[in-house]
Amino acid sequence: MSSKELSKLPEPVIIRDEDASHDIAISFDHVSKFYKLYSSDRARLAGLFSRKVKYKTRRASDDLSFQIKRGESVAFLGNNGAGKSTALKMITGVCYPTHGTVEVHGRVSALLELSAGFDRKLTGRENIAFRGKLWGLSKEEIAELEPAIIDFAELGDYIDQPMRTYSSGMRARLGFAFASSIKPDILVVDEALSVGDKTFKKKCLKRVRELLKGEDVTVLFVTHSLSSAKQFCQRGIVLEKGRNIYEGPIDDAVAFYESRD
Amino acid sequence: MLETLRLIFKEHMEYLKQIPGLALTDIRKDVRGAGFGWIWLFVKPAIYILVFWFALEIGLRAGKTTGGDGPFMLWLAAGLFPWFFMQTMINTGSNVYSRYSYLVNKLHFPVSVISTFYTLAQLLVNMALVGIVVVVCLVTGLNRSIYLLQVPVIYLVMFLFWTLFSLMTSPLSALSKDFANLMKVLSTPLFWLSGIIFNVRGLDIPILQTILAFDPVASFATAFRDAIYYQQWVWESPDLYLPFVFVFALTAVCALYFFHRTRKDIADVL
Repeated sequence: MSSKELSKLPEPVIIRDEDASHDIAISFDHVSKFYKLYSSDRARLAGLFSRKVKYKTRRASDDLSFQIKRGESVAFLGNNGAGKSTALKMITGVCYPTHGTVEVHGRVSALLELSAGFDRKLTGRENIAFRGKLWGLSKEEIAELEPAIIDFAELGDYIDQPMRTYSSGMRARLGFAFASSIKPDILVVDEALSVGDKTFKKKCLKRVRELLKGEDVTVLFVTHSLSSAKQFCQRGIVLEKGRNIYEGPIDDAVAFYESRD
Repeated sequence: MLETLRLIFKEHMEYLKQIPGLALTDIRKDVRGAGFGWIWLFVKPAIYILVFWFALEIGLRAGKTTGGDGPFMLWLAAGLFPWFFMQTMINTGSNVYSRYSYLVNKLHFPVSVISTFYTLAQLLVNMALVGIVVVVCLVTGLNRSIYLLQVPVIYLVMFLFWTLFSLMTSPLSALSKDFANLMKVLSTPLFWLSGIIFNVRGLDIPILQTILAFDPVASFATAFRDAIYYQQWVWESPDLYLPFVFVFALTAVCALYFFHRTRKDIADVL
């Protein structure tokens, strides 16, 4: 599809609210996401001022449709480049679909690509306060949550050191501890558990299971570890080249995914 | 474009309560890592003003060129201190998404608000600085006039203008490094050209005065001097300030246009 044809397709629709009582947590309806690839830095500059500049498009999501009900736990399976992270980013709201309808009901707490949105100049404790503020928590609520988060992340004295001095494991631990402690309606976990050691992984899975027991939390999980997907997801969605090629109970989805290789 | 304006308003209303806290966190981020943290925010202006005072008044004997009768140091402070704010906005404020990339592509956060709280953070530091000058004026009796009331109003206009400036240039800088580079290149020439260290009204060539009236940096520096040093109202010199109204409107339109065009692409390229 050329960029000219693309611009004729209907505008994307994004519906996002905090209605956590809605039966459906997330719904994608014919969602496509194209990344613009310019041939050079100069072409990209020209593209800012003129719509005529040509660019290639890479489809990260291609006519993707699925629905996730409230309280479900769903795993996204797929090889690198299948469009899992892009789908999660659209759910989180950090990137926008090019076409189609994205619907998200409830507040999303996400753990995207390990760094999890922390400021490297601030200390762990300040980051908790900062993110808590962004999430809309009051000072008292943050003070209440803080000890449990620090304890879960096993950071000890490092909590008062700037985050640039943290190892990737430490960052991921704090990220997971924060994202899972703020009582989200929808928890998105992207690969984060893969950096922790065995004990920490177990701890995370235990936490996710606890969250799932609680009535209405929806968990979305992207992983290459099929065993942990099997352990606590009910359903699996297999993505390939940005498309939903299989959707079903987790055991079937894993079997399907494994048979593709 | 009106839709973009509405969107920006909506995002700001949602995050209104958080903006002051975010601004304070930004300042904290700057003072982090230094034992004398907060003091450094004021060391640079203090040293610069001493050096410029020495070079200009003692060295070049420019003390008589201000066209007023207050001390040269006051004239210098009234223009140089606001410049420090504008300099930061030109250098860093024009590329604010790279400072806060995780707010753009890791968290769900309205990108337009980043410009607002960053501008507010820089403004608060600068207000403390100019606040000291105003207090010195009041205590020593250098200027106890009603014209000082213009200072908070100029700050309000500065806040609006430079937030729009950041909103206009930051997406461009994110999408193409050319803009970030251009801003860095422009910042020093703007200092020398914009009447920070010379009196715009003292220029002999009228056309130059007219051209400088379209330079927002010159407008702000002169406005602060009118309030603090010359003790007059800004509307007494319409020839110097009316062009700024045009520049402001143009910046607002460009900011909305570029923000609308690029908003959805920013997260993809950072």
